[in-house]
Amino acid sequence: MSEAKRLLMIDDDPDFVAGIKAILVKAKYEVDVAYNPKDGLQALKSKNYDLLLLDVMMGRGAEGIMIARKLGKDPKLRDLPVLIITGIREQMAFLFPGQAVHPHFVPVDELVEKPVEPKLLLEKVEALLKTAETRKAQSP
Amino acid sequence: MQPKSKILVIDDEEVVLDSCTQVLAVGDCQVTTTNNGAHGLKLVGEIQPDLIFLDLKMPGLSGFEVLGRIREQFPLMVVIVITGYATVSSATEAMKKGAFDFLPKPFTPEELRLITQRGLEHSRLVQQAVALQREKEILRENFAAIVSHELKAPLGAIQQNLYALTEELAGQLSDDQKDRLTRLKTRLDDLLKLVHSWLRVFSVDINKLKETFQPVAVADVVAKAVDTVQPHALRKAIEIASSVADPLPRVNGDEGSLIEVLVNLLGNAVKYSFPNNTVRVHAEAQSPQVRISVTDTGVGVAKEDLPHLFQDFGRGQAQPAGVAGCGLGLAISRRIVEVHGGAVAVESEPGRGSTFTILLPAMPSAPEANTTPERKV
Repeated sequence: MSEAKRLLMIDDDPDFVAGIKAILVKAKYEVDVAYNPKDGLQALKSKNYDLLLLDVMMGRGAEGIMIARKLGKDPKLRDLPVLIITGIREQMAFLFPGQAVHPHFVPVDELVEKPVEPKLLLEKVEALLKTAETRKAQSP
Repeated sequence: MQPKSKILVIDDEEVVLDSCTQVLAVGDCQVTTTNNGAHGLKLVGEIQPDLIFLDLKMPGLSGFEVLGRIREQFPLMVVIVITGYATVSSATEAMKKGAFDFLPKPFTPEELRLITQRGLEHSRLVQQAVALQREKEILRENFAAIVSHELKAPLGAIQQNLYALTEELAGQLSDDQKDRLTRLKTRLDDLLKLVHSWLRVFSVDINKLKETFQPVAVADVVAKAVDTVQPHALRKAIEIASSVADPLPRVNGDEGSLIEVLVNLLGNAVKYSFPNNTVRVHAEAQSPQVRISVTDTGVGVAKEDLPHLFQDFGRGQAQPAGVAGCGLGLAISRRIVEVHGGAVAVESEPGRGSTFTILLPAMPSAPEANTTPERKV
């Protein structure tokens, strides 16, 4: 068996984080958490992660979006797959539940709505990891 | 200091332009003049005047045409027409077309000053009303965003932990404990949906949907809606039978919202059906419209409840045990359909069931290919 995948979650709600982390840990992922955007960016720079779980509404507004945009511009970090987990569906236009939505901040990303059912969460994480791997294998 | 009032005078007679400038430019008015309608229209956009004087009889673009276009592009602009032939008929005609007042030629400086004062006062009031309206919109939207986050965040965190606990404790819980966890999750889910519905009703300007209308295949809408409702139907052993005419014209609209409407109707049909019933959804062309109907053989709606069904918080009396709802679904559905230029209707007989019908304007172009293969459940 290959080494456990290492995920980073950036979200300012510790209770919500606990609910997500427990599901991922049970599925044998290694999960680091940053409770604010600043620590999150710091962690991304200092460690290598296989996937980022990102909250949108943090601090003074949609700071998660700012992180996603920063990643998109960073030549090293833009290949990191990102799962955006958000509760603000009505502000991201009228998204329809269950439909795959690609925000396209970075090449491999997707969006799910809070709360996330365990099955859906694990499916999305797995799919994003796989897509990112395939992309990596294909690039020269 | 208040900014100068901007006045635009459009008249082909130099004498009128000069006298207007002379009379009005004293004091706190800034007067711009032009002698033809086309240039006048351009200036309206550029300087955004507070008040426009417009001659009705000009060579080239006539005053009526200019008035029409101003009203079209700037519906709130205050326009006073100058009528050369002082006929009451052309003045009233202009007022009907949206002019605020008229000034017959020839006029005295005093008359001009007076009517200008009235026009500017009216313009100020209109602008104030618009500003207030906008402020109200912003407040409403901000309020919704805050409420949305503050209410949904804690509920979401609780739900997420219930999910996680269910996973973590799998194998350790008794059936009764599992059942209670499931019920907790359902209750929370309903609460989250309720918050969401409230926000839809009170915060979102549903007319904004129009900005992103696209041709929508009705067969896709039906298929996706059926997919969403299917799990609930299965739980009650209710079959959903869908039939979509092929070919079927497309409709101009917002797919997600149309699906939401149909999910609402199908969800209700399932909710108010008896176990082992069949819910039928059917779509066909009924030129010049597309007709989608959802029929159930459930509890039905009492006659006296029918008129309130599509109003906010309107719910029928006949509530089978265990049915929860807030009575917003149909109201939201009606609004969505109306934004699409369509209509919803209901026929029902208590104890026999109901048929809800959506009529949407069909797009005139080529018929859609039925993109959805037969579905088996």
